[in-house]
Amino acid sequence: MLTIVHVINQFFAGFGGEDKADMPVGVSEGALGAARGLQAQLGEQAKVAATIYYGDNYFHGHPEEARDAILREVRFRKPQVVVVGPAFNAGRYGLSCVEICNAIANDLEIPCVTAMHPENPAVATYRDYHNLKIFLLPTTETAAGMSDALAALARFVSRLGSGVTIRSAREEGYLDRGIRRMERADRPGVERAIDMLLSDLRDEPFFTEVPLEIWDQVSPAPPLRGLSSATIAIVSTSGVVPWGNPDGFKTYRNTYWRKYSIASLKTMEPGQWEAVHGGYDVSFMNQNPRYGVPLDALRALEAGGIIGRIYPFFYVVPGNQGSPSVMRQIGQEIAADLKKDGVDGVLQVAT
Amino acid sequence: MYPLAEQVGASRIVKAVKIPHPCGDPTLPPELDAQVRRVIVETALKAIQTEVSRTTVFFPAMAMSG
Repeated sequence: MLTIVHVINQFFAGFGGEDKADMPVGVSEGALGAARGLQAQLGEQAKVAATIYYGDNYFHGHPEEARDAILREVRFRKPQVVVVGPAFNAGRYGLSCVEICNAIANDLEIPCVTAMHPENPAVATYRDYHNLKIFLLPTTETAAGMSDALAALARFVSRLGSGVTIRSAREEGYLDRGIRRMERADRPGVERAIDMLLSDLRDEPFFTEVPLEIWDQVSPAPPLRGLSSATIAIVSTSGVVPWGNPDGFKTYRNTYWRKYSIASLKTMEPGQWEAVHGGYDVSFMNQNPRYGVPLDALRALEAGGIIGRIYPFFYVVPGNQGSPSVMRQIGQEIAADLKKDGVDGVLQVAT
Repeated sequence: MYPLAEQVGASRIVKAVKIPHPCGDPTLPPELDAQVRRVIVETALKAIQTEVSRTTVFFPAMAMSG
C-alpha cells in the first residue's frame, strides 16, 4: 500500500475561512478535512499518513518558514507521492500549491500532484517550472467539483505510485508543462501531417502535435489626442542598456525590467550603451544604439513642438525567449509605472 | 518581425527596417539614416493617433532595403 501525504489550506482542513488565513503550518495524523475525501477515493490503494495544512496568507507572508515546515513534515513521513490542493479557481491557494509541489519535487525528489481550474493564474507558474515531477490536473471552477477532483487525484496517485512511466499530458489528463520529449513515432512525420490536414479539410477532429500559445486579446487603446502637449515614452526590447550592463540582464529569458535616464540626452551615443540580446546580431545596435532607442528623432520632434515632451527615462527588458507569462507581468508593471508618471503615449521598439 | 507582432495581437505595428536595426539603415550615409529614423518615428506617432479596431500594420512612406 502506498504512503501519501495530503497538503491543503486552512479552509479545506476545516479550521475556517479568511479569519484563519494567517494560521502557520500544522500537521494532523491521518486524513483531516478534505483529506478524508481523498482517503475514501484511494480506498486500499494508499494511506494518507498525514494531512499538512497552512493558512493561505501565512504561506505568502512567510514563504521560507512555510516551505521549510512543510518540507520537514513531508521528509519525516517518507511518502511515495504528495497531493496538494485542489485549489479550483483560488489564485492565492493555487500559487501556494504550485510552490509547495516545486519545493517537494526539487528538495525531496518526491512526485507531486495538484489540481485546479485551468484558468487559475498559478497554472502559468506550473508551466514555467517545467518540472517533470509535478502534475497539475484540471478541475471545475468551484469546490462543487470536489469529489470529481479528489477522484482524479486518487487515480493519478495510483498511477504515479505504480512506478509506470507517465505519458503525455493529453494521454494522462494532466495540464501540459511545455516539456518536449523525444519519442519514436509509428509513422513518419509527413504521413502524420497529411492525415491531420485531411482531417481538418473534412472537418473531422484531429490533435495537433505542437499546440500553439493562445495569446490574450487586448483591445486597442483609443487614439491619442493632443500630441503637441503629450508625454511620449520609449520602451525597447532591443536590449540597449548602459555600458557595463549594470543591472545584469541576460541575453535570453529575462525576468525583470529597468528604466534608464535620458533626461539630459539629445541622442544615444555609441560607447555609452551596449546591446544585451541573444536573438539577433547586436553589432549594428552596439555601433548605433539609436536603432533600438530613436531618441534623436524624438528630440527633434520635441524641439519642433510636434510632441509635448519625452518622458525622461526609457524602459528596457531585453527580449529573446521571454516567457509569455513573465512578459505579461512585466508589461503590466511597466504600464502601471507609465500611468503613475502621466505618460500619454508609448513607442515600443522591438527586434 | 511584424508578422510575429501581428500574430500576438499588437494593436498598432509600424514596419521598421530590419531586426538588427529597426530604427535605421546602416547601409545609408548618416544623414539619410537619421531621416529614415525620423520617418519611422513619425509613422509611429501617426499610428498612436489613429483609431484602430484590430491589429493594424503601418508602413512608413519610403523605399527601404530588406
